[in-house]
Amino acid sequence: MSKPAMVERDLLVFSIWAVLGFGGLALILEGFSRDSYFVSLAGTAAIVTGFVAHIVVNALFDTGFRPGEAALGISAFGALALAFIGGWAVGGLSPTDYWSGLTLFAVLAFGLPAYLSTRYGLRGAFSRFHVRHADDGKPVA
Amino acid sequence: MTGMAYSVWLPLFALFYVAVMLYWVRVATNEASAGDGFFSAGHALSPWISALFIAGASMSGWFVLGGSQQIAVQGFQMPALIVGGVLLALPGTLFFKRLWFVAERMRVSSQAEIFRVYYHSPFLVVVSVLVALLFALGFAGLQIRAIADFVELLTGGVVTRLTASVVLGFILFAGAGIGGMRAIGYFGVIQTVLAFTGIVVLSGFALIWSGGFAALNAGLLQLSATEGSAGLFTVDRVIRFTSGLGRGGELAEANTALANLSFAFALMGFQASPLVMKLVLSTRSPNGIAAGQTWVTAGFFGAIIAFCIALTGAAGLANRDLALTGLLGALQAGSPWFAAWIFIGIAAGVQLLAGLALFVAGEGLIRHIYRPYFHSRLSKERAVTLTRIAIAVLAVLAMLMENLTPVTLSALAALSLPLAFQLWTPLLGITWLPWITRSAAVTGVGFGIAGVILTEPFGYQVLSFFGLELPWGRWPWTIHSALWGMAANVAAVLIISAITNRDACGSEAKEIRKLFSGLLATSAKARTLRSTAWSVVLAWFFLAVGPGLIFGNWAFIAAGEDGPVWLLGMPSIWAWGLGAWVSGLGLIWFLSYKMEMASPVHVAIPPYEPPPRLKKDKAALEQERLRILVLTGAAGFALAVLIAFSFGG
Repeated sequence: MSKPAMVERDLLVFSIWAVLGFGGLALILEGFSRDSYFVSLAGTAAIVTGFVAHIVVNALFDTGFRPGEAALGISAFGALALAFIGGWAVGGLSPTDYWSGLTLFAVLAFGLPAYLSTRYGLRGAFSRFHVRHADDGKPVA
Repeated sequence: MTGMAYSVWLPLFALFYVAVMLYWVRVATNEASAGDGFFSAGHALSPWISALFIAGASMSGWFVLGGSQQIAVQGFQMPALIVGGVLLALPGTLFFKRLWFVAERMRVSSQAEIFRVYYHSPFLVVVSVLVALLFALGFAGLQIRAIADFVELLTGGVVTRLTASVVLGFILFAGAGIGGMRAIGYFGVIQTVLAFTGIVVLSGFALIWSGGFAALNAGLLQLSATEGSAGLFTVDRVIRFTSGLGRGGELAEANTALANLSFAFALMGFQASPLVMKLVLSTRSPNGIAAGQTWVTAGFFGAIIAFCIALTGAAGLANRDLALTGLLGALQAGSPWFAAWIFIGIAAGVQLLAGLALFVAGEGLIRHIYRPYFHSRLSKERAVTLTRIAIAVLAVLAMLMENLTPVTLSALAALSLPLAFQLWTPLLGITWLPWITRSAAVTGVGFGIAGVILTEPFGYQVLSFFGLELPWGRWPWTIHSALWGMAANVAAVLIISAITNRDACGSEAKEIRKLFSGLLATSAKARTLRSTAWSVVLAWFFLAVGPGLIFGNWAFIAAGEDGPVWLLGMPSIWAWGLGAWVSGLGLIWFLSYKMEMASPVHVAIPPYEPPPRLKKDKAALEQERLRILVLTGAAGFALAVLIAFSFGG
């Protein structure tokens, strides 16, 4: 991909997350604050929409997630999971908060294989994780 | 949730904002290291980036800060605001395409340079730079002051206005000063998106807290029935012959149709300013102009103004607690994450404009005034360094004025749009009306500036300082200074063009005229539509922002048993404004595409080769110029002090 195209793609990605990422986060927090499952669900929907939009942009520019983006996404997921588990451990979560968090993580966890299978196909998605020892130079049996 | 947890969101979001900005500054500087691009992004900005940025900068934070506040305080007396998207888009539709081709042919990248090559006029170059300075110091400075006030409000006074404005100034310098035009363009896209989201979400909260659209309008209807409030929903009359605000005229009386029309002209100054021209001329192709002006600025952002900004203002009108300050305060208390997100959006809108204005002003001072007239041997690298220094100095100056001299700031801000509107005549001379001669354009702008200054507080306060009291105040006869200036401007242009030689122009001007009559000539089909276009434009102006607004007062009102009934469930004048926006969108589309004023053209424009000239050593002349400038400045200062000491005070 040419440099100008990469810049344009990055601008679109930043713009998407500036709206849907922060909007989703704000809605999830609002849902936790008001103890409203549906508001949290709207936040989860916003984040999922952000992912979908990101994937659409990737498809338009014929590319995938960049290593930095994947790292940031996994870190954010880990931080959110940690905060959720911490909240649950100290007993600061109401049942609605609990279900809101579980919904978010379930959707995100389901989203990863769904994304990989749409991008690489079911078998290809599996191959992303499965390390073939034949790659070290020995002939495949 | 604890107080700490509530107050953490604004700094957290601000930190993200700054981090993203620095990332794009880094991207821009990395790209620039491979080649030139500090001043005009290598003329390589994508059309869609420019279209989005132009729309965002045109709207800036002003519409949400000033526009919604105006509706909250003065109601719908100025419906020209509602069609702001169309008014902002109109000048770009007229000028951008042709100016882009002029710049491409002459290999220039700013409005001041276009004036120099076409008119050979240092005066117009200086005026262009002055307008950019007014935007940087006044227009943007005033908005940053408002943003700094909000920071103080949202942090409960923990972060003072002074601290906030210093931080905002540093952020501005980091964006514009280090990254240059490329960073401004790239980050501008994200700022625009943030700004639009912030405005939409804010209006959503205003609507929810007003109890929905029907409840909001029920509140407005109730308000209109109270004594003395009916005027908040009507345009009073066509004109009122007052001496102007501060000289017998009152703000509440300045709600006439001509006030609206002349205010509309002021709004039309923005896209004629050197700020937006800079963006257009940094774009790699003009083929996105029509779509950008029609669908992004007039359409999408026009809708945001007509619905969201008007809605936020209307909520504040119906319930004072829901005015912008109250709205943000309530959000901070209940949903600080939303308050932070919305605030960052509004701040991004303001910073978008402020960064561009600082950059164009800094560039103007160094590249268009200092370098050509005082130091022609200045290298490109040193010009970049000096421009960065100029931007830093301007940012500090703006910050000082925001905190120490708010009245001056306000007076300067009031000049920026009407003065930019005075640049219409030289721009028309270049693009559409070749009969406007150099002398006419220069004198016209001079008269226009005088007309604006004499009908704004800046002018009469300066004259008052020197002991001369004008018999009128701000906007006499409820006519905005933009129109007073333009009246003087057009009169001078018509008279002087009639008595001066139209063929006495430079070889570059002849080349540009040849370009427009040859390669870029309007098609026969578009020429046959000219009379239709004139009729449609005049009719739209009459009905949407002119005397026809009087019809809008009652167009959608019926007499009911218990008083007047709003037929569309909203104030008649608001509905009229929405109709004007929709028809205005059609007008912009018609001019852009059918009249081919901004439509895509696929032609290659080779660079102009000027006739070979001997290069003279200008060092001695430039030294002399500098000496004269210093001496004139010193003499002028001494004279001013003497006059003020003798007659003023």
